[in-house]
Amino acid sequence: MAAALSGVLLYLGLGLLGFVGAPRAFSLVALLGGATTFALWAPGFPEVLVGGLPWGIAVAGDTWTVGLWALGLVLHATLLVHAWAKDSAFHPLTTVLIGTCLAGALSRDLFNLYVLMDLSSLIALVLIASGRRVRAVWAGLQYLVLTEVGLTLYLFGLGLVYGRLGTLSVSALAERGPNLSDPALAVGVGLLLAGTAVKTGVFLLGLWLPQAHGQAPTEVSVLLSGIVVKIGVVTLARLAEAFPVGTVLLFLGVLTGFGGLLYALWEKDLKVFLGFHTVSQLGYMLIGLGLGAGTGALLYAVAHGLFKGLLFLAAGEAVERTGQRQIAFLTGRLSLPLAVGLGVGACAIAGLPPLAGFAAKGVLALGAPGWAKGAFFALGLGTAASFSKLVPLLRPRERGPAGGLPVLAAAVVALGVAGTVLAGDLLAPRAWGEAILVVGLGYGLYHGLSRVRPGLPRWGFDWSVVSLLGASVGVAGLVAFGGL
Amino acid sequence: MRVLTALSLLALAGLLALGVSGVFPRPELPSADEVAAEWGAENVVAAIILGVRLWDTLFEILVYAMTIVGVKLGLRLLRWERPLPPVAETPLLRRSADLLLGPVVVFALYVAVSGHLGPGGGFPAGAILGTALLLLALAKGVERLSAEIHEPALEWAEYGAIVAILALAGGLLLLGRRGSGYLVAANVLIALEVAIGAWVVLHRFASSRGEV
Amino acid sequence: MEGLAAVALAIALVGVGFWTLIVRRNLIWKLLGLNVGASGAILFLVALAHRPGARPPIVGLGPGPSADPLPHALVLTAIVIDFATLALALVYVIFLTEHRHTQDVERLERDEERGWPQP
Repeated sequence: MAAALSGVLLYLGLGLLGFVGAPRAFSLVALLGGATTFALWAPGFPEVLVGGLPWGIAVAGDTWTVGLWALGLVLHATLLVHAWAKDSAFHPLTTVLIGTCLAGALSRDLFNLYVLMDLSSLIALVLIASGRRVRAVWAGLQYLVLTEVGLTLYLFGLGLVYGRLGTLSVSALAERGPNLSDPALAVGVGLLLAGTAVKTGVFLLGLWLPQAHGQAPTEVSVLLSGIVVKIGVVTLARLAEAFPVGTVLLFLGVLTGFGGLLYALWEKDLKVFLGFHTVSQLGYMLIGLGLGAGTGALLYAVAHGLFKGLLFLAAGEAVERTGQRQIAFLTGRLSLPLAVGLGVGACAIAGLPPLAGFAAKGVLALGAPGWAKGAFFALGLGTAASFSKLVPLLRPRERGPAGGLPVLAAAVVALGVAGTVLAGDLLAPRAWGEAILVVGLGYGLYHGLSRVRPGLPRWGFDWSVVSLLGASVGVAGLVAFGGL
Repeated sequence: MRVLTALSLLALAGLLALGVSGVFPRPELPSADEVAAEWGAENVVAAIILGVRLWDTLFEILVYAMTIVGVKLGLRLLRWERPLPPVAETPLLRRSADLLLGPVVVFALYVAVSGHLGPGGGFPAGAILGTALLLLALAKGVERLSAEIHEPALEWAEYGAIVAILALAGGLLLLGRRGSGYLVAANVLIALEVAIGAWVVLHRFASSRGEV
Repeated sequence: MEGLAAVALAIALVGVGFWTLIVRRNLIWKLLGLNVGASGAILFLVALAHRPGARPPIVGLGPGPSADPLPHALVLTAIVIDFATLALALVYVIFLTEHRHTQDVERLERDEERGWPQP
C-alpha cells in the first residue's frame, strides 16, 4: 500500500515541479519512480482504509489496479518517446494526468472517484485546448459542461446512497447487501451509474466524446482514449461490484456498442471516426462488466487503451503532417511507419489473431451466453466493416520517422500473444478461423454498405444535454423499476 | 425542444423527489468527537479534511492548481486589438484599501491558524487573502500591484506550497504521525496556495478584459 | 422538516439551473445555469447532514448528537471543483469570443457545420 501511494504522490509532486523548470527530466523521473513503486506492490495488496476508521478512503491493489497501472506507464513511456520536444506545459500536465489515473485505479471510494474523475476532466480539457485551435476549444468546452452535468447527477446519487447506507467505500457497500427495492437507494444507484456513464462517454449520455477525442492534439487524443476514459470504466466496475446492476450495464453496453458503431460506419473525418469507435468499444467492456466477467472487461480495457492509442497516434500524426482530416484525402499520403502503425491498430481492433484485440475478444466471449456471443459477433462484423474504409490508406508513400509508434505496436503484439497463449482455448484453429471469417465478412459488408447514405441526426450542444438528462432518467428508472 | 427539455427536467425532478423522500430519517452515525480528538482538532470537519480524508483533499488542491495552470495557459496568447479600458481610481478607494488591508490580512491569518478549532481553515483563509489582494488591485491598478508583488516569485511559492503539502501528506499517510501542529501547518500552506491562485486568476481575467 | 425544505430547494435549483443551461443561447448564461444546478447538489449534501436538534460538528458546542460531519467535508471539495470548472469554462468562452466574436451557441454551431469560415 505504501509503495502505491508513494508512487501516486511522486507522480503528482514531480509533475508540479515540472511547471517550475526541467519538465522533461521530472516527467522521466516520475515514470521511473512510478515503474519502481509498481514493481514493489505489483503482487497486489488487500484493501486498506487510508486515514483510518470511520471515514477513511479505501484503496486496494487488485487486478484492475495492476492492469491500469501497466497501461498508464506504457502510455506515458510512449508519449515521452514520441513527444519529447513538445512545449514546456505538456509534460507536467501529462504527468499529473497520469498520476490522477493511477490514483483512480487504486481508489475504492465513491467520493474519491468523483474527485478523480473531475480532476482528470479538467486536466484533459487544458490539454485539449493547448493546441489553441477553435474547433478543439469548442469541443473541449462542450466536454467540460456535459461532464459537469453528469457529475452533478453523480453527486446527488452519492448523497442518496450515503444517506441510506452510511458509507462510501465500495466493499462496505457490497457487504451491507444493498436492496434496490428501496426507492432512495435505487434512484441513487441509477444516478451514480448515469453520471459515470456521462464521464465515460456512453452513447446518448456522453455525446461529447467523439468530437473532443477527435479534435484534440495527437498526443492528447492518445491519452484521452487510452487511459482517461478508463477511469470511468473502472468506476463502473466498482459500482458493479457494490450494487446488483448487471442488467443495466448490459443494456448500456449494447446501446453504446451499436450506437457508436452506427455513427462510425459513415464518419468521414479520420480522428472523429476513431472517437466514435471508442464509444463503440466501450460496449464490449460494459457487456463484460454486466455479465460479471471482470477479467475479460479489464483485459479489453487494457487492450483497447493500447490499440486505440496506437491508432490515434498514427492517425493524428498523419493528420498533422498532411493537414488533411478526411479519410478520402489521406489516401496514399502516409509515410511507412504511420501506415504500418495504422494497419497494426486496425487489425487489432478488428480482432485479427494474434493481436491484443483477438485475445481480449476471445477471453470476453469464453464464458458469455449465446445472445452475448451474437452481440459480439455483430459488433465485430461492424467494426471490421467500418475499418475497411482505412484499407486504401495503408499504401505507404515514403519512409519517415516512427516516433513512439514502435513502443505501442510492440505492446499490442505482446499483450495479444501473451493473452492468446495464457487463455489456452484461443490457440485452437477454430478460434483463429472464426476471427478471420468475421473480418472477411466485415470487409464484404463494407462494400455493400458503402452505397447506403443514411441521414443520422447530428447532436448539437443543447440536444446533447437534453439527451443526457433524458437518458439519465431512463437509467435511473431502469434501476428503480428493475429492483421493485 | 423546450417541451422535451421541460419533460426531461420534470422527470428528473420527480425522480430526485422520489429518492430524497426515502432518505430521511438517516441511520445512526458513528460518534465524531473521538475522531476529532484523535487528530488533535476540535472541529470535526477539519479533522476529516486534513486527516481522515486527506487523500481526497490532495486532489482537491490539485484541481485548484490545475485550474490556475489552465487559466494561465488559456489566456496567455490573447491579443486584444484595443488598449485596455482603464479602471476608475478614486482617493476614497485608495484610503479605504489602506485602512482595511491590515485587518483583512490579520483576519485571514486567524482563520487559517484556528481552522482546526472552529469554523475556518485554509480554503476560506485563502479566499479572504485573495479578497485583500483584490482590494489592493482596485486601489492601485492590477498591473502596478502585479509588478510590486513579484508575480513570478509568487508562482514559484505556489508550486512550492503544493509540493510541501504533498510531502507533508506523504509523511503523514506513510508514517502515521498526527497532531495539532500538523493541522496548522497544512492550513497555512493551503491558505497560501489558494491566495496566490486567486490572485493569478484575478490578474489574468483582469488583463484579458475587453469588449465583444 | 428543515431538512426536507432544503432538499426541495435543492431540486428546484437543479431544475432552474439546467433549464437555463439548455434553453439560453448565450454561453455565459449557460455556464451560470450549470453553476446554479451544481449548487443544487451541494445544497442537497448539506441538507443530508442535518439531524433534528443536532449541534454543529465541533467538540464542546453543547450536549447532544452533532450533525453528520462527512457531508460537510465532501461539500468543501465539491465547491472547489465547481469553482474550478466555472473558471476554466470562462477562460475558453473568452477564447471563443476573441476568435469568433460571438457567445451564441447557435451561431457557433452554424460556423462549425460550415467549417469555421473567417468571421
